[in-house]
Amino acid sequence: MDTATVLQSLISGLTLGCIYAALGLGLFVVYGVTRVLNLAQGEFVMLGGMLTVSFVTVGIPLALAIVLAVLMTMLSGLFLYRFIIYPARHASGSTLAFLTVGFAFAIEGITLLVFGWEYRSLTAFLGSSSIHLWGATIFGQAPWVVGMTVLMVVGLFFFFDHTLVGKALRACADEPLGARSVGIDINRMALLAFILASALGAVAGATITPLTMTAYNVGIPLTIKGLLAAFVGGIHRAEGVILGGLLVGFAEALSAGLMPTGYHDAIALGLLLAVFLARPRGLLPAHGVAE
Amino acid sequence: MMRELGVIIPAIADRYGVRGGRVASVIALAVLLTLPLWGNTYLVTVFSTIALYSIVALGLVLLTGLAGQVSLGQGVFYGIGAYVSAICTVRLGLPPALAAVIGVVVAGLVAVPVGRAILRLRGIIVAGVTLTVNLVFFYLVVSVSSLTGGATGFVLIPRFSAPHFMRYSTFVFYLAWLLAIVCLVLTLHLARSRIGRALKAGNLLAGGSEDTAQVLGIDVMHYKVGAYVVAAVFAGTAGAVYAHYMTVIEPNSCGAQFSVLIAIMVIVGGVTNPWGALLGAGLIVGITEFFREVAPILVGGPTGAYELAAYGIVLVLCLLFLPEGLFSLPARLRRRREA
Repeated sequence: MDTATVLQSLISGLTLGCIYAALGLGLFVVYGVTRVLNLAQGEFVMLGGMLTVSFVTVGIPLALAIVLAVLMTMLSGLFLYRFIIYPARHASGSTLAFLTVGFAFAIEGITLLVFGWEYRSLTAFLGSSSIHLWGATIFGQAPWVVGMTVLMVVGLFFFFDHTLVGKALRACADEPLGARSVGIDINRMALLAFILASALGAVAGATITPLTMTAYNVGIPLTIKGLLAAFVGGIHRAEGVILGGLLVGFAEALSAGLMPTGYHDAIALGLLLAVFLARPRGLLPAHGVAE
Repeated sequence: MMRELGVIIPAIADRYGVRGGRVASVIALAVLLTLPLWGNTYLVTVFSTIALYSIVALGLVLLTGLAGQVSLGQGVFYGIGAYVSAICTVRLGLPPALAAVIGVVVAGLVAVPVGRAILRLRGIIVAGVTLTVNLVFFYLVVSVSSLTGGATGFVLIPRFSAPHFMRYSTFVFYLAWLLAIVCLVLTLHLARSRIGRALKAGNLLAGGSEDTAQVLGIDVMHYKVGAYVVAAVFAGTAGAVYAHYMTVIEPNSCGAQFSVLIAIMVIVGGVTNPWGALLGAGLIVGITEFFREVAPILVGGPTGAYELAAYGIVLVLCLLFLPEGLFSLPARLRRRREA
């Protein structure tokens, strides 16, 4: 147990934490506005990564490839809401969640058909050089992942606090009836939430692919980690989701560094589940709202 | 377009009439029970799988249809039944039948504290948490490799001591269907009993309310945990039989995807209808086998690709157009004819 190992664990914890926070933010946006637990959030991340890789492979420059991938993923988010969620919008929460499960399976199947089962990767955005720091190694892509999440958080807070559309979204989340009575079109806001979540997912997917690789089946495990982040921190507030994501990331990385090899995944997830079951409303519960 | 489809699909079924339910089920039962006499080993295996999945799905009907708790973690108990039974035979040298019973008991015992911890939560969160529990279980099985065989799986599990006059696959076929029918009868009976009514009273999905039931003096938590344990026992039973049938068990055969598939079977068949569990299991296993065996021959391409998309599409179509499941189709048609 030396400082290098601890430092290494902290660095990968931060990186992983940012990935899970990004996933949690996507879940938060959809859940907040529509009360739908979107179990297809991980598929948006997968699509963002897979599409970017395939655009780059055919020779499109990276930046343009990411933009195209994000736009196409947003289309899938639009499809999910307009043709699957919207027709059943009055159904129970579990029906809506299972509709997103069905969508997730369909997306996975189609991706497998189109792209095959191979794991794919991207070269890091600025070359694959690593930084060495007191015996720890930082992969060149890691700062991009952290930066992407920070940018996402700042952007979302600005959007929710300072733009009219963002405020309307927040109104739907806080008080749907009140929002409707002041003339906010709830269905349009719900559509926007799904598109926003798919865009967040796709950006995250493109950014993490050089680090984590991607394949048709990475979506469901990512969704589960995002759920855990959202539950532990509290899905009702953006701050809660971000805190939860960082906790999940650090728990995973620290137990990988400190715990006996092989057991670390089970230990980290088990601990987080225990935290959640002890505080079922999340570490940062909703502001004074009785559930 | 959605509304048109909602009319067209029942209309097609109407045209090719689903009539004479009783005659149809007698014929189906006769065909099923004589299957080992005329079917090949492949067909017998497929139908044994359907029986085992039906057992797990029936547990979920109790839990979701009656108690209103959506679980995406039935694979945990299926896995416990399978692994405990395998460990008891291979490491402790117990006979498979006894080991299977131990596996089922352990599954039930584990369900008590897990159920108590999880079922305090309400609503769709339960689904997310059970899914996470399933992932934790998966990691545990992979990491305790000295006991479970790790990611590659537990191999060389001994078979049940079957009578000599029939093939092993035939023996398992009858065993699995016997168990499935016992579970079906038990579920039907529970649904109509005092316990079933108490569960329904506290079931939000069936128009009940947990708080109201509580005020009426029903210990809702007690009944919910009870339903959870019974569901776990069902899943454990299926898992134990599966382990001694296939003689192999691997972490993926009780992972998150398995649990989600079980939930899909229940939804497609009809959450509140125990018969629907059998229908859903049959449909999903049918899709799996069709796309694994037939589609690659017809159109080529990788196996495993088509069935994933098919599960998803079937699930979405079912939830949108037949929210009460395939089993509600005859009743719907009758209502349409009368209307």
